[in-house]
Amino acid sequence: MICIIALVVFGILGIFSAKYRTIAKEAFDCVFRRLTLRKCTTGLDKRLKSQITGKFMRKRPKLGKFLYRHFEAISWAFTIVLIVSLGYSIYSVGNLFIYGNCNGPIPDAFCVFDPFISGGHGGECTIEGPVGEIMGVLEVHPHDPSVGPEDAKVTIIEAGCFVCPYTKQAVPVVKQIISHYGDSIRFVYKDFPMSSTHPGAQEAAEASHCAHEQGKYWEYHDVLFENQGKTNFEDLLGFAKDLDLNTTQFSECLTSHKYKSQVDGDFAEAFAIGVYGTPTFFINDQVVVGPKTFNEFKQIIDSELARG
Amino acid sequence: MGLDVDKVREDFPVLQRVINGKPIVYLDNACMTLRPIQVIEKIREYYTEYPACGERSMHKLGRKVDEGVERSRETLKKFLNARNTKEIIFTKNTTEGINLVANSLDLKNGDVILGTDKEHNSNMLPWQKLSSRGVKYEIVRSNPDNTFSIENFKEKMNKDVKLVAMVHTSNMDGTTTPMKEIVKIAKDHGALVLMDGAQSIPHHELNMKKLDADFLAFSGHKMLGPSGTGVLYGKEHLLEKLGTFLVGGGTVVDTTHSEAKFEELPQKFEAGLQNYAGIIGLGEAASYLMKIDKENVEKHETELNKRITEGVGDVVDIIGPREAGKRSGIFSFNYKKVDPHEIAMMLDEMENICVRSGAHCVHSWFNTHNLKGSVRASIYLYNTLEECEKFIETLKKVIDAVK
Repeated sequence: MICIIALVVFGILGIFSAKYRTIAKEAFDCVFRRLTLRKCTTGLDKRLKSQITGKFMRKRPKLGKFLYRHFEAISWAFTIVLIVSLGYSIYSVGNLFIYGNCNGPIPDAFCVFDPFISGGHGGECTIEGPVGEIMGVLEVHPHDPSVGPEDAKVTIIEAGCFVCPYTKQAVPVVKQIISHYGDSIRFVYKDFPMSSTHPGAQEAAEASHCAHEQGKYWEYHDVLFENQGKTNFEDLLGFAKDLDLNTTQFSECLTSHKYKSQVDGDFAEAFAIGVYGTPTFFINDQVVVGPKTFNEFKQIIDSELARG
Repeated sequence: MGLDVDKVREDFPVLQRVINGKPIVYLDNACMTLRPIQVIEKIREYYTEYPACGERSMHKLGRKVDEGVERSRETLKKFLNARNTKEIIFTKNTTEGINLVANSLDLKNGDVILGTDKEHNSNMLPWQKLSSRGVKYEIVRSNPDNTFSIENFKEKMNKDVKLVAMVHTSNMDGTTTPMKEIVKIAKDHGALVLMDGAQSIPHHELNMKKLDADFLAFSGHKMLGPSGTGVLYGKEHLLEKLGTFLVGGGTVVDTTHSEAKFEELPQKFEAGLQNYAGIIGLGEAASYLMKIDKENVEKHETELNKRITEGVGDVVDIIGPREAGKRSGIFSFNYKKVDPHEIAMMLDEMENICVRSGAHCVHSWFNTHNLKGSVRASIYLYNTLEECEKFIETLKKVIDAVK
């Protein structure tokens, strides 16, 4: 039985280092012989048994003795655990492929294969203080920057923060969604600047609206994420200049905090319904917190589209 | 004055090594001995100062190689108390030396080769192979305690026995055959004697003039010398009569497209470019051993073996006679039906104790006795009483786990 474990362990290690390949080959030979009802002749099983028990004997003689005497039974137990784990891993990878997360249709738990570490808390930037449940949906105002027709079947509202790394992580997926669904959806971005934990978030949000009034919201939005963390006045003005905005107007807009009340309003509104971190997405009335894979979003959007 | 083990140990760099915070306890000397710094330096010197061809190149470096090889041959002549350097043929190991004799000796249909029942494969297969020529290979059964039976040997001797090819000291159990007596009986029957000296040369004083054996084969790596080196000693007049074995560059004076004029001894048996670094290192190893009184080495090994035998002799099944004095530095044993490899690996894993396990290339004996093999601890001049105590203590722990 120990040869099966050795085959898996050294087989994986052998991918990365040639020194384990010989043992992996021996283990394969041993397993193959056992499967074909022949005796394992490599001696690998005995070698592993002696080496493992010998290591324990050195410091914990009683444990070493126990291991030696029950080695086969312990090997069986580990083999069963290994096979079950492997089966579960294969099932999870299958789910990831089909549903976009390890856990099947309902992505409500941690998924190690998820590049964004989806599910649970920890994959988003949070505000200070206790975290509660999100109750309700954000309202879309005429001044909110958006893409897509107002009467689209599905409206996706993102509450984001320009200084939050998780919001930045979600940007490519959001672009993929917009590109994939086109006019079938409407995407709206709302500010949730968590200035206490992410300094500069308020300034960046206000600056984005200063760009919006000159018709270049989404360009400025992208520049802010590309240069995440650069939020002092010179930086923000520099980005405007790079985008050929009227810098005098932009500068006045920034220094006068023209959009402060709008940004504060977005934050207060979101906070009121329980939004605690970014990015938080509202897909019609379904809430998704943290960056997710395209497939995960797709599952929800498609079901909303189908519901009509 | 006895053997100064502490001083000897200073010459062996590997003994200073620590693995997993523990020193090495090297008890696998019957397989391979460690090398003193003097031998290592000689080899390094060859590769760094004159790594050239011998016997061919006339330049300074080539001449220096020739000097080194011939000095080594001279040292080995003294080491064996041979008559002259023509009797010293460099080989790559004991196996090659025995094969050289087996393939070059004029043996005919009906001739008998006599060995013991515990020959190493290297001193059995070359003779068994001659059965295609009608040459018979027969064995002399040992006494019940595994010592050599001179009575059984006498019974086996007859006019058909042309060669007695026997192990001097067994690598399996450490028993030593009474070679002087064997040689006398063999001579009385007109048979030649070949000694497999692989295990005896590192531990016993061998005086080939006194022993009067016709051939002796041994390896360098079992006597503090480099791997891939060995010597075939043979009486000059017998070597002269032997046909050639491996032929090629270095073995001939001249050739035409149809024939060759072979070199004199010993070159006619040393075909191809030689292991010069090894040969020079082997000479240094012989030199090193000549400075140490072999009687003291034997005494030291026996004392340590006695201690091991007292310590665990009652717990395990010793292979060979119970008296440690009859087993040289070898303690070969089994514990019930436990796989010898398991015991050996646990000793290594627990305390870096290096021993050999398996059939030790004497499968024929183990098969006859229905055994898989044994665990073998083999002692040499640098081993200490403390190491033996460590071996005893650890082996007891292993036995406690596997019993």
